[in-house]
Amino acid sequence: MARRLWTSLIGVVLIVLITLGYNIATDNTPILGLDLQGGVSVILAPTEPATEDELTVIRDQIRAELERQGIAEPDVRVQGETIVVDLPGVRDQQEALSAVDVSGVVELRPVLNPESCQPIDTVPTGPVIGTPSDDTTDTTPGTEPQGVRRPVAPPADTVPGDTVSTETIPPGAVNEPVPTQFVDPGAVILPTRDGGAECLGPVQGTGEVFERGSAQPTLDPSQGWGVSVDLRGGEGRDTWNSLASQCFNRAPTCPTQRLAIVLDSVVQSAPSVNEPNFTDSVSITGNFTQSEAEDLASVLNRGAFPVEVEAQEARTVSPSAGSDSLQAAIVAGLVGLALVLVFLIVYYRWLALVIVGGITVWAGMVFSMASFVSGWTNYALSLAGVTGIIVAIGVTVDSYVVFFERIKDELRNGRTIKNAAPRSFKMTWRTIWSADVVSLIAAGILFSLSVGSVRGFALYLGLTTICDLLVCYFFTRPAVLLLARSKRMATRETVLGMKVATA
Amino acid sequence: MTLDTSVSTSGLGRVFRGQTAIDFYGKRKVGLVLAVVAVIVTVGSLAAQGLNLGLDFEGGDAWDIPASETFGVDEATDVLDANDVSTTGARIQLRSSETSDVVTVQVEELPRDKAEAVTADFAEAAGVTVDEISFSFTSSTWGAEITEKAVRALVIFLLVVAVFISLRFEWRMALAAIAAMVNDVVVAVGVYSVFQFEVTPATVIAFLTILGYSLYDTIVVFDRVKENEGRYASTKMPYEDIVNISMNQVMVRSLLTSFSSILPVLSLLILGSGVMGAVALREFALALLVGMISGVYSSIFIATPLLAYLKTRSLPPSRRKRLLGDELRAAVMGAGVTGRIPEDTPHGDVADASDGDRPLEPVGAGASGPTAPAQADRLLSHPPRPRKKKRR
Repeated sequence: MARRLWTSLIGVVLIVLITLGYNIATDNTPILGLDLQGGVSVILAPTEPATEDELTVIRDQIRAELERQGIAEPDVRVQGETIVVDLPGVRDQQEALSAVDVSGVVELRPVLNPESCQPIDTVPTGPVIGTPSDDTTDTTPGTEPQGVRRPVAPPADTVPGDTVSTETIPPGAVNEPVPTQFVDPGAVILPTRDGGAECLGPVQGTGEVFERGSAQPTLDPSQGWGVSVDLRGGEGRDTWNSLASQCFNRAPTCPTQRLAIVLDSVVQSAPSVNEPNFTDSVSITGNFTQSEAEDLASVLNRGAFPVEVEAQEARTVSPSAGSDSLQAAIVAGLVGLALVLVFLIVYYRWLALVIVGGITVWAGMVFSMASFVSGWTNYALSLAGVTGIIVAIGVTVDSYVVFFERIKDELRNGRTIKNAAPRSFKMTWRTIWSADVVSLIAAGILFSLSVGSVRGFALYLGLTTICDLLVCYFFTRPAVLLLARSKRMATRETVLGMKVATA
Repeated sequence: MTLDTSVSTSGLGRVFRGQTAIDFYGKRKVGLVLAVVAVIVTVGSLAAQGLNLGLDFEGGDAWDIPASETFGVDEATDVLDANDVSTTGARIQLRSSETSDVVTVQVEELPRDKAEAVTADFAEAAGVTVDEISFSFTSSTWGAEITEKAVRALVIFLLVVAVFISLRFEWRMALAAIAAMVNDVVVAVGVYSVFQFEVTPATVIAFLTILGYSLYDTIVVFDRVKENEGRYASTKMPYEDIVNISMNQVMVRSLLTSFSSILPVLSLLILGSGVMGAVALREFALALLVGMISGVYSSIFIATPLLAYLKTRSLPPSRRKRLLGDELRAAVMGAGVTGRIPEDTPHGDVADASDGDRPLEPVGAGASGPTAPAQADRLLSHPPRPRKKKRR
């Protein structure tokens, strides 16, 4: 028993020391929020005059997209005619520019037979691998192109490939000089996400046909991951259905029955259309992985941008709360903590040393976990978060108070400290556990369902609560139990500032 | 054996020895009246003047001023101060790129003429012409979507917590705990509305912190009530007594915990925002302070009386009078934490204190001091002995 207690005590201290040492050695500290550390600001401007409502819609969409990419708590606002995006935890302006490059407009283009993309001067004599018209039942996007793909002449090389620049390409503009060379005027060859290429007809609709933000990944047991998206009533549905019926009936404009979803001149997905008429929502299935489905959903949502915006410039921003705020919060927090500890030492005498040790271990653990978590998730610690941690000191101290008061009650009833400590811990653990589980529920639900700073709050609430539970069980328990059974304690006449029965 | 059972003669001594005998249940009306007053004031103030929503919620005015060696964030702050524009909610940042640096100032929306005056002052301070300063309206950053999602998350959280407390304790406790929590958040919001402090995203975080703290505090109290409920299960003790005994037992803990939670927040308020001048901390710390005080208050004066009320309605009425004064004290002290008393000795020592068979002595609530030790000794006729040493 004693050995296990020692193992737990030494183990937790060692683990905290090692992780803390690792974090300090690798300079891995929590990312600080915009208010504390500043970040990078990108100014986006619409390419054509936009109304205030449209800008507000874009603002919300950019924020949603940034959050989806894992950039936490961005500060997005409409300022004048522009949209200003402030990103915390990003030091590199280039990184910031690519992060906010979420401005593309989604286009819907029918997929044509490869013959249509034959340069006009070369007669299609070469072997056409596969018959594209065969893959009617298969809705797998992105896998067909290998079969459909032709050895394409120069045009394919001019298609913008991997480099998606910040300048947005108007529909078809890039291929403007090219189409005249094709058999089918208006056809273009665009690359697919996995490196293939598709021969596509002219743009017949945009992402506006879908309800804003309605696309979401779905998991169907029989068909695997897919994406469901709602159609916007009226015009959106009409546009979509006219396209869908063309493709379903294999009209000359859409001979392959497939419809490509194109973003920034890259084919995101080209599912085949299995129904001529859709009422409310469209479901796209195929051999998607979860992340592919999530990406496609995000692309469809992104397509609901009412106007295109492009990045104008990136600037680094200074902390908004003033550089002294963090320092003031830390100093005030430490002074507050010191006062609390002094008070507890006066009140609980030398047993309060366990509290001092426990709080130190807790603080080290919170710091290490915050460093790791902000490294993984890009969650920045804002001033509100720092003060939240300061408040958590109170809750952490509470577990000691509950424990020690319980021991005092037991001692008052004539138990020895050796006997009182394990009983007290049992009852205390029950109390602390119940109360902390409520905090964890709060943290879990708020983290998974909310966005922005509320989410950041939830993260740090959960983190400090978990540390509280861990320290309580793995540090405080063994420390107090070992003290309680030590020989010195058995012979002491006063414990916790009160007289006790000596065995 | 040197068992210390004497009742301290000083009030504070009794508090710290867990020897108080406060009739919390009897004073429940005072507590509820205060809570109701707080809610009425908040609702009235919200209806009359609402909340002073800050830049992040309502947008405001923004200036981009070319920065120079003589004009930076501090100088911009000075201009705002000189024009009597509140800087607590303002956001003043230096934005720099390779080509140029600008100071961006965002404040709550100002009247047109005042905004123009400020623009002119900025131009003068920065040594540029008014035309070089871009002045525009800036939108909120806190979109409706964030509020929507946060509210939805909160509702789900409350449902889950209600279920959790119902399973772990009982539904009456869930109801009481959530009522107390709502009260705390209402009080905090009320302070913001009455004094028209600016609500920032940090304030929202403070409200959420209060919410969590309040629930935490209430559950610690309820855990003791639940434990005592089991202990007195066989004695048919009125629920009010159980509540009173539990409240007196956890009082030290509540006081100590609130003290050690509030101390760091006070330090933030006085040292951080007062002495060190970090204004950003001030209102945040104030919201936390109010919420925490209210959180402790509501656990004692709202959650527990409400629980007792709900519970007594569900039980057959008890014919006995509530324990008061020294009898309550004896129960508080004697009941201690001697684990399995009800099972081991169903008609044993502590239970006797409230056993219906014994005629209750009419002891005044004010009586204390000399008679108390005797009382306590009598009621604790069999103080539990320490267990014999066992080999482990």
